Amino acid sequence: MSRKEGTISSLRELPRDIPPARDLWPAIQARLTEESRAPTAADTRVRNRHLRMRFIAAAAMIAMLAVGIWIGRSGLPLVGQRARPVLTASTANPGTEQGAVQTAYTMDPKYLRDRAELVKSLEGQLATLPPQTRTKVMASLATIQKSKQDLEAALGHDPSNALLQELLVNTYQDEMRVLTAVQEAGTAGKGI
Amino acid sequence: MRTTTVMLCLGICVSGLAHASNRIFDRSVEADPKGTVEISNVAGRIDVTGYDGKEVQVHGELGEGVERVDVDSSRGITTVKVIVPSHTFHSASADLRIRVPRDSELEISGVSADVSETDVQGGLQLKTVSGDVKADIFKGTSEIKTVSGDIVLRGRADGAQLHVTSISGGIRLDHGSADIEGSTVSGDLHMRVDATHSVRVRTTSGDVRIEGKLISGGTIEAESVSGDVNVRAAPDGGYEYELSSFSGDITNCMGANAERVSKYGPGKRLNGTEGTSSGARIRVKTMSGDVELCDKN
Repeated sequence: MSRKEGTISSLRELPRDIPPARDLWPAIQARLTEESRAPTAADTRVRNRHLRMRFIAAAAMIAMLAVGIWIGRSGLPLVGQRARPVLTASTANPGTEQGAVQTAYTMDPKYLRDRAELVKSLEGQLATLPPQTRTKVMASLATIQKSKQDLEAALGHDPSNALLQELLVNTYQDEMRVLTAVQEAGTAGKGI
Repeated sequence: MRTTTVMLCLGICVSGLAHASNRIFDRSVEADPKGTVEISNVAGRIDVTGYDGKEVQVHGELGEGVERVDVDSSRGITTVKVIVPSHTFHSASADLRIRVPRDSELEISGVSADVSETDVQGGLQLKTVSGDVKADIFKGTSEIKTVSGDIVLRGRADGAQLHVTSISGGIRLDHGSADIEGSTVSGDLHMRVDATHSVRVRTTSGDVRIEGKLISGGTIEAESVSGDVNVRAAPDGGYEYELSSFSGDITNCMGANAERVSKYGPGKRLNGTEGTSSGARIRVKTMSGDVELCDKN
């Protein structure tokens, strides 16, 4: 098979050195010298933008730090501080509780209204229950409160966790179920 | 020694007097064999038995504080009501033994009264606050609720729909079938199911144990915040399982390994199929409770 003119079949056939058509270095050096002497308006804009980005980043860091400290101080008990009391009539709505995750469920106005009414009548209803039952119900409500706090704390670390979100919503439902059951139990004897 | 003997004699005398002061109540009324029987009693006992008859028969031992017992029957509804004055210094306790037609629907309401039901095959609605409940579950819908009382149930027929809830009381079901829903806050929940379509249970801190067989297309769903969940389900053909826990352990006897949900954070899950996929499914979710699944009972 004959080789055609101008075609290359092996790397060895390539030339070792190929000099450029012109010397590029003088132009590059001139450009660098010029740039180091007088910054252009475009350069100033870029520099300003970098400064602004740094400032925003620093502000965001400070804001995040502040939010972190606020959550830490309001959501977690300080050393020597007493734990939050078990659900009482004076307990605020969950949507306004410090450290509460503002789920759509807890922000529903009907839910908040119903819960507030049940919590308001809780102490009176508990008083009508047999002492041993009252103690057990109080313990169960404390368990629910603790579960809510644990779930909210875990969600604080992992806000998008679907499992925790579902368990939290269900725990809110359990709390309503207990409050309703106490309401019914408190009135059970009256109807008999 | 002498003081102890005197105290013992005194105690026996007082309890004898208290017992002697109990009044006996007996009354029977004609009732619709498939009607509803409503019973209410604040304290004491309510024992109901189904039988092949057309009367509601009430036998009661009434404490001093009980005013009377009203028994009425009209338009298919029979009511048995223990009446207690609003202010009484005596025991307002009544022990009722009631026989009702076997196919009656039963509605019982108590506060600290223990409730027991046997052989009543209509629907059940049993509610008590601190009393314990023991009942047979037949076809139809049964709803059982306590606040702190324990619940012990026994399935006696297929096709039942059972809703059982307590706050701090434990729940135990033997021979459950068909559709079962159960929930407690701090009480433990133990269910033995024969062949079930659907079991859905939830606790906050109580432990859950479900044993039995899952039929084709059936589901077991269990959820707890901090309680442990143990499911031992024999695959009748097979089932898919999805187990997940945020900070609890997941173990099984099938040799499958749970995987971490995230490389950097907590959370484990174990998904798989046991046997051949028959549409049956087991789902378990916990926050900090441990999860255990086994395909052997």
